[in-house]
Amino acid sequence: MKTLSDLRPVYVVGVGWHPYRYATEEPYVTLGLTAVRQALADAGVEWPSMDAAFVGTALLGMASGRPMLRHLGATGLPLVHVENASASGSAAFRAACLEVACGLADTALALGIDKAIPRPRTSSGLGGLAEDAFVAFTHFALLTNEYAARNGVAPEDVALVAVKNHGNGALNPNAQRQKARTLDEVLGGKPISGTLTSLQCCPVGEGAASVIVCSEDAIQRLGIDPGRAIRVTASAVGSETPGAGNDADAALTRTVIGRALAQAQRKGTELDVLEVHDAFTIEELLYAEAAGLCGEGQAIHLLKEGAFHLGGQCAISPSGGLIAMGHPIGPTGVGQVGEVVTQLRGEAGARQHKGARIGMAHMVGLGSVAYAHVLERP
Amino acid sequence: MDGPQLLKPALYAQGDDGVAWLNGGACACGHVFFPLQDFGCEMCGGFGVDLTPQRLKGLGRIVASATVHLHAGKGREAPFDVGVVKLDDGPVVRTLLTSVGDAPAPGQAVRAVLVEVDGKEPGQRVRDLRFEVQA
Ligand SMILES: [Zn+2]
Repeated sequence: MKTLSDLRPVYVVGVGWHPYRYATEEPYVTLGLTAVRQALADAGVEWPSMDAAFVGTALLGMASGRPMLRHLGATGLPLVHVENASASGSAAFRAACLEVACGLADTALALGIDKAIPRPRTSSGLGGLAEDAFVAFTHFALLTNEYAARNGVAPEDVALVAVKNHGNGALNPNAQRQKARTLDEVLGGKPISGTLTSLQCCPVGEGAASVIVCSEDAIQRLGIDPGRAIRVTASAVGSETPGAGNDADAALTRTVIGRALAQAQRKGTELDVLEVHDAFTIEELLYAEAAGLCGEGQAIHLLKEGAFHLGGQCAISPSGGLIAMGHPIGPTGVGQVGEVVTQLRGEAGARQHKGARIGMAHMVGLGSVAYAHVLERP
Repeated sequence: MDGPQLLKPALYAQGDDGVAWLNGGACACGHVFFPLQDFGCEMCGGFGVDLTPQRLKGLGRIVASATVHLHAGKGREAPFDVGVVKLDDGPVVRTLLTSVGDAPAPGQAVRAVLVEVDGKEPGQRVRDLRFEVQA
């Protein structure tokens, strides 16, 4: 089987956002157009030079793309909608990369977009003892309890992830939460489930994120600045297998990140920046360990030493992560790629991780599915 | 030991020693699962005659537990305790606990019991399954 690294090189050349925020009455069309126009301007290309478009959305429902993208000038380009729960944006990004890598397109747009529209899953027909009691934050409260018991860490220490990520979010103009928080503020917030408090849980609002990917040919032909092009050196994806117990997302993450690192011929310890699916504080610790940044149970110690802060060994969630930047679902996975690209370009301003050269974006989608992309400054 | 009707009789049954049974299944490949289903085996893909009902004893150990302080759903008042239980018979189940604000810690032995709770109709009482610490 081939992987992305066996195909022709793909580069991210443009990134753009509509800031993430709490729900408003504004049409999604405005959010999407803002992000796409910003990405086009960032790449210095015009909409008609896009060969294909992939729209990642989990909540907008059927056929949301064309009513939005037609306002850029309807060129008739191939248009596909991609749904993969929280990883919808990551899936759209992978689809765009593959379209270019295998030569079906020279340029492609990945757009993640959503509004906070409640959309329950269709029942599989199989119930549980009390499935309604196990909403997402309770699932992760249970994982926090299990991790704390297994590794002998105080659950309050887990809250330090939120302190770091709120601090990063305070430096990100696209973040939904832009306020630095102390440990006391995080712990003193509204108790949600187990030891999780409200500031340890991601907000789900609205927004959009967009990236433009292209081939080396297109960089030359369209006069794109090669000095700001960031290469996608790996794309990996997988779904849950039985037998992993309660901690299936971490086991799946370990497998998928392992595949991505093997494709890129990198080790986890070589990553300078890592955007993870930190919807809840405990996840960042689990996934840092699954990515091979440290051994099991060691993440909390490294966090306390500052290893995961901006300027540390590997800046985790430099954007603020899902906890502070927000998790509007469709945009999240695309926005992570945009953040890693911004960091590797050295354009992240106040939240720049100095000397960032290799980065990863990791996302989990309910189900579970997981994605990992490695990006590198050539 | 009899009492009001069971809330989810497809999922569990009364045991004669006070410990409830869980209605699970087993596949010809040896995989034991809960709840019982005839869609197919998650481990090997077997279906049809490969899958047979198997009663699972409601005994196990806590993998994780939590007190839910704020619940984002209708029909359930917080606070309440939830747990992940590894059954002695194999499967891992997610369940409500009898405790409130005092959930048993990982590793503690627990058993399934049927407790009376309010039903959907006004004044109705039903029995539902909870896990509690083994005496
Ligand atoms: Zn089987």
